[in-house]
Amino acid sequence: MVERKGAVRRRGVLAGFAGAGAMLGTPAILRAAPSGKPVRVGATLSLTGFLAQTAIVHKIASEMMVEEINGRNGLLGRPIEYVLLDDQSKPEAARSLYEKLITVDKVDLIQGPYATAPILAAMGVAQRYGKVMIQSSMGIPKLQTYDRAFPATPFGPEPNVTYPNVILDAIATFPTPPKNMVVLTSKFPSAQFMAQGMKEQAERRGVKVAMYLEYESGNRDFGAIAARVKEANPDLLWVGSLGLESNLLLEALRKLDYTPKNHFHLYPAPGPLALSPDGDKALCSTFIEPDEPFLSRPGFKHLAEEFKVRATKANLPYSTIDAQGCGMISEWQILEAAVNGAGSLEDEKIAAWLKKNRVTTVYGSMRFDGPYNHGDAAQFIKQVQNKEWKVVWPKDVSAPGVKLIGA
Amino acid sequence: MNASRDLPRLVAAIGIGVFALLPMAKLPAFYDSFLYLVFFWISLSTSWALLSGFAGYFSLGHAAFFGIGMYTTAVMTTKFGVPFLPTLPVAAAIPALLAAGIGAIVFRLRRLRGELFALLTLSVTFVIATIVLNTPIDGGGGIFMSAVPLPSIMPTPTGTLYALGFMLCVATLAIAWTVVHSRFGLGLFAIHDDEDVAEAKGVPTFRYKLGAFALSAGIAGVVGGVHAMYVGFLTVAGTFELTVPLYVVLMSVIGGSRSWFGPAIGAAFITTLLYAFNSGGEAMVGRAIVGLILIVSILWLPDGVVPAVRKWWAKRRAVAPSRPIAEVAPVVPPARPVGDRVVLQVRGASKRFGGLQALAGVDLDVREGEILGLVGPNGSGKTTLINVISGFYSLSGGSITVDGAEIGHVAAHDIARRGVARTYQIPRPFVNMTVLENVSLAATFGGPPRSAAEIRREALHWIGFTGLAGKEDVLPAGLNLHERKFLELARALAARPKLLLLDEVLSGLNPAEVDNAIRLVRAIRAQGATIVFVEHLMRAVVELSDRIAVLNEGRLFALGAPREVMRDPRVVSIYLGKAYAA
Amino acid sequence: MPSVTLLGQALISGVLAGGLYGLLAMGLSLSWGLLRLVNLSHFALAFLAAYIVYELGTTYHVAPWWSAAMVVPLMFAIGAAQHWLFDRFKVNELGSLLMTFSFAVILEVAIQLYWTADFRRYETPYSTLSLRAGPFFIPVLDLTLCIVAALLACGTWVWLRRTYVGKALRAAAEDPDIAAAYGVDHKRLAYLLSGIGAGYAGIAGTFIALIATLAPAEIWTYLGIVFAVVIIGRLGNPLGALLAGMLIGASESLAQAVLSPAWSPVVSFSVLIVILLWDPEWL
Repeated sequence: MVERKGAVRRRGVLAGFAGAGAMLGTPAILRAAPSGKPVRVGATLSLTGFLAQTAIVHKIASEMMVEEINGRNGLLGRPIEYVLLDDQSKPEAARSLYEKLITVDKVDLIQGPYATAPILAAMGVAQRYGKVMIQSSMGIPKLQTYDRAFPATPFGPEPNVTYPNVILDAIATFPTPPKNMVVLTSKFPSAQFMAQGMKEQAERRGVKVAMYLEYESGNRDFGAIAARVKEANPDLLWVGSLGLESNLLLEALRKLDYTPKNHFHLYPAPGPLALSPDGDKALCSTFIEPDEPFLSRPGFKHLAEEFKVRATKANLPYSTIDAQGCGMISEWQILEAAVNGAGSLEDEKIAAWLKKNRVTTVYGSMRFDGPYNHGDAAQFIKQVQNKEWKVVWPKDVSAPGVKLIGA
Repeated sequence: MNASRDLPRLVAAIGIGVFALLPMAKLPAFYDSFLYLVFFWISLSTSWALLSGFAGYFSLGHAAFFGIGMYTTAVMTTKFGVPFLPTLPVAAAIPALLAAGIGAIVFRLRRLRGELFALLTLSVTFVIATIVLNTPIDGGGGIFMSAVPLPSIMPTPTGTLYALGFMLCVATLAIAWTVVHSRFGLGLFAIHDDEDVAEAKGVPTFRYKLGAFALSAGIAGVVGGVHAMYVGFLTVAGTFELTVPLYVVLMSVIGGSRSWFGPAIGAAFITTLLYAFNSGGEAMVGRAIVGLILIVSILWLPDGVVPAVRKWWAKRRAVAPSRPIAEVAPVVPPARPVGDRVVLQVRGASKRFGGLQALAGVDLDVREGEILGLVGPNGSGKTTLINVISGFYSLSGGSITVDGAEIGHVAAHDIARRGVARTYQIPRPFVNMTVLENVSLAATFGGPPRSAAEIRREALHWIGFTGLAGKEDVLPAGLNLHERKFLELARALAARPKLLLLDEVLSGLNPAEVDNAIRLVRAIRAQGATIVFVEHLMRAVVELSDRIAVLNEGRLFALGAPREVMRDPRVVSIYLGKAYAA
Repeated sequence: MPSVTLLGQALISGVLAGGLYGLLAMGLSLSWGLLRLVNLSHFALAFLAAYIVYELGTTYHVAPWWSAAMVVPLMFAIGAAQHWLFDRFKVNELGSLLMTFSFAVILEVAIQLYWTADFRRYETPYSTLSLRAGPFFIPVLDLTLCIVAALLACGTWVWLRRTYVGKALRAAAEDPDIAAAYGVDHKRLAYLLSGIGAGYAGIAGTFIALIATLAPAEIWTYLGIVFAVVIIGRLGNPLGALLAGMLIGASESLAQAVLSPAWSPVVSFSVLIVILLWDPEWL
C-alpha cells in the first residue's frame, strides 16, 4: 500500500514537473490549442462593495490564469469559459449566485470566491451539490469542514499555532530578542483568529504580552490606540491589520513622535505600506514574493510579469503581484492539474485525485491530505527594505544577501 | 358576486397557492433562492412600514431587531443545540420586548419625534452591534451555521428556506392588511399626520405606537432568524450594516409607505433590480444603472407606486354623483334654560412651565348646556386652560373634574373618551385623510364602539350639519379656511362630546362667515353640548355667551353675565389700560 | 488606570478627529435643516473631491490647497445642479433620500471605474507633522482641519443669523409662502445653499484625501456617525454640527483609551442616547 501511494505521489510530482517543463520547453506552435465544447467554470468575486479592494486582484489573476491554461491544453483539451458573477461583498448574494451558477447556468466546475464570509456561504452550496471548491483566502482552516473544499494557499491546518511560532523563531534571532510585545488586532475574523494564536504562543514561549487590544475593523481614528502603544513601548508591536489600517496606525504613532522598535503587520495592503514613509523595516506575513528563490519556481517569473502588465492596464495603483494574486493563481493551477490528472470533470474523481496527489503550484509542491484538506504550512515573513518587500524568514526562502533586520 | 372585491381575493388566493407549492416543481434552486430573497425583503420592508410608514416614526434601527433575531437563532442552535424551528418564536420575542422597552421610555417624551427618533434607533443599532461583537455572542469570529440541521419541509434545503420565507411574507402582509383595515391602523395614520390631535381625538397614541414598534421588531426578528440559516456564516459587520435600514426605507418609499402593499412592491422591484445586473462583466455599470432607474422612479412617482396607481384608478372610475346626504340646516331653536348640573369644575388650577406661571389658580364652574365665553388679554392663560382641560398638558396644581371625574392628570385620549372635545385655533386636520375620514376617525375613537356603517352615517350627519356636504372626499388641502374651521367643528362633534372647547373658532372669518358660525354654535348647544369658547371677537362673545369668564395673568378675573362683565371698568382696564377705564 | 498623559492625548486626538465628522456634518445639516432635503450623496461628493485632490496631487503634483481651490467650485456647481433636479421635479424629503442615495451609488461607481476599488493613499510630508504642547502632541493636519471647520462653522452661523441672505434662508425654511410674500427669493437662495453645502463636501474631501484612506466603499462608513452628529447638533446649525462632531470624536477616543477599543461605539452612542433622553439646556 505504501509503495503504491509513493508511486502515485511520485507520479503526481513527476506529472507536475512534466507539465511545468512542457510549458517551458515546448514552443507554442507545437502545443495543441484546446478545442471543442468549452468547460464552464463559474465563480463569484466581490467586484463591488467593501471587499472589492482586494477582490480586484483576484479577478485580474483569474483572467490571466484562464488565458494561460487556454494557451496550453485547457482542461482535458477543451477551452475554459470563465463565468464570473459579482457577489457585492455579501455572503447571501454569494450563496444565491452559486446556486444560480450550479443549477441554472449549469457550470461544469466552480472556483471559490474571495474572503471568509462569502467562501463559507458558497461552501454550503458546493456541499449540497457535491462540487469541488478550491479557495485561497480563508484564513481560518478549521471552518473548512466540507470534504471537497481545498485550500490553495498553504496556511496549514493550524496557522494560529504554526505561524506565530515562525514569528517567534524569527525574532529570537534579533540582536536584542524582544521580551515583551503588544498585540493589536482588528476584529475581522481571520485577523482576530491569528492574534489570539499569537498571544497564546508568545506566552507559551516566554514573551510577555503586555497589552492585547482589539479594535473594530473599519476603525478610522487610531489616536488613542497609538497613545496606548506609545505608553507601553513594546519590544515588538504585532498588528492584526487589514487594508490600510497599518498605515493609519503608524502615522498616528509618528504624530506622537514615536517609532516602534519592531513592528509586524498581518494582512495589510502591501503596496501602500511599503511606500509609506513610516513603513521602513515593517515585518509582514507572506506566502510568496516576486523575488528569488520564488522566481525560479516554474512559470512564476512569467506570471509575475504578466500580472504586472495586466494590473497596470487595469489602472491599479500597485501592480506588483502579492500573496492574494498568487492565491488565485494557485487555485487555477490546482484545478488544472486535478482535472487533467483525474482525466474527468466529475467532482468526485477530482476530489479523490487531489487527496492522493501533490500539485506543484507557485507555492511549491502542495498536498491536500491533512486535516481540513490542508497540507504543510508555508507562511513566511517579509520586510520592507528600501521601499521594497523582501522575504526575510525562514532563511532558506530569503533571496541571497537579504537578511532579517531587527532592533 | 361583487367583482371589485372578489376578483382581487381570488387572484390573491391563486397566487398564494402557486407560490406556496413552487418548490415542489423542482425548479433550479436558484429560483427558490431568489424568490426567498424577495420574500425576505418584502417582510422586512413591510414590517418597517408598520411603525415608520403608517405612524411616521422614522426608525433607522430595523437592523438592530433583525440582527438580534439572526443572532438569537444562531446562538441557540450552535451554542446550545436547540433545534432550528423552536428558536424562531424566541427570535421574534426578544426584539419585540426590546422595542417595547425602548418605546416605553421614548414614546413618552414628546420631543423625541422625527429625526431624534431616527437617531435614537440608529444609536441602538450601533450599541447592540458592538455588544454582540465584543461578547461571547459573536466575539468577532463570526458564527458558522452550515452544520445546523434544517427541517425538511420541502424536498431541498433551499426549498425549505423558501417555504419559511414565503410563510413569513404572507403572514407579514396579512398582518399589514389587517392593521390597515382596523382601528389600530386608523389610529396610526392619524398619529402620522398629527399626533397631538390624534391623542385629543381619543386615539391612545402611546399604546398604539408601542404596539406598532413591538410588532415591527418582532417580525424583523423572526425574519432574521430564518435568514441566519440562509446566510450560513454570520458576521457582525455583515448583519448590522446600514444596508438593511436604508434599503427598507427605499423600498417603502418607492412602493408607497402608507399602504400595506406598497413596501412589497418596492421590495420586489428593488430586489429584482439588484439581481438583474450581477454578471462579472457589467457589475459596476449595472450598479450605476440601478441607481439611475431608482432616480427615474422617484422623479416619476414622487409618492410611490401605490398612491400613483390609486390616483390613476380614481380618475378612471366614473365620477359617482354625490350621495344625497341628510343635511341638517342649522336651525336656531329657542334658547334652552341652562341646567343646574355642573359639567366642568375647575378648582385652583395652576400650570407652570419652568419659570413661567401660565395658570395661577383658576376656579370655574360650567353648568350643563351653558355657553361660557372665555376672554382675556394675550398671555392671560386662555389657551393654556383649554390645553389643560383637554389633557394636552397635565396640571401642576389644583384639580379639574368633568362630570365628577378628576381629569387633571389623565391622558388626553382618555379625557376625549369621557366626552371632552376641542378645536384648534389654526385648524389641524389630518392632511392625508379626506373630510369624511377625518370626521369618521373622531367618531370611531371618541364615541362608543359602533359598526363601520354606523360611524359613516354619524360622520356624514355632522358633515352635513356643518355645511360641508359634498366635500366628503376632498383632502383638507382643497378646503378654504372657513371650511377647514368647520371641519374642525365637525370632527369635534362627531365624538358627541358633553363638553366642547372651542379655541378662537371665529378668527380669520369674514362677517358673513361669522354669523354662520354663531348660528352653528347655537345649534350645537341645542343638541345638548356644553360649550366653553375662547374668543377675541367681542360682539360674538357677547351675543353667544350665557356667561363670560375673564382671565388675567393666569387667574379668573371676572365672571358673570356678558353685558355686566364687559362694562366692568376693571375688565376694560386690563384690556386697554387703567387710564381708559377711569 | 490610564495616565493623565494618555487621557489628555486621547482627548486631543478625539476632538480633532471629530472635526472631520463635524465638517462632513455641516453641509448635510444645512441642506437638511434649511432645505428639508436629506442629501446622502454628500459623502460621495466628499470622496469625489478627495479622489480629485489625490489625482491632482499624485499625478500632477499640485499642492493640496490649489487642488482644493479647484475642487470646491466644482462641487458648488454640482450641488446647485442637484438642486435644480430637486426643484424641477418637486421632490419631497423622503424622495430626496432615495434620489441622493442613487446619486451616491452612481458616484461610487464612477469613482470605482476610474480609480478602481483598490486602496489609495495620498502621501504628503504633512501627514505626520505634529506640534508639541508639553507632553502632548497636536497633529498639524488634523488641527488645520479643525481650524478650517471652526472658521466655516462660525462664519456660516454668523452669515445665517446676521446677514439678510442668511435670515432670508431661515425664514424661507420655516415658511416659504410667507417669506416669499416678504420678497425672499427662495429659489435662488436654495441654489446658493445647495452649492454651499456641496462646497463644504469639497473641503471635507480635501482633508479626507490627506488624512484618511481612499476606497470607494469607504463612502458608506461615515454615514452612520455623521448622521448622528447632524441630528445631535440640531438641523441647520453649523456650529452645533461641529461641536457635536467633536463631542462624539472625543467620547470615542476616550473610550478607546480606557477600554478595549472595540467597545468604543457603545460608549459614544450610549452617551448620545443619554443626551437625547436627558436633553440638557446647553445642547
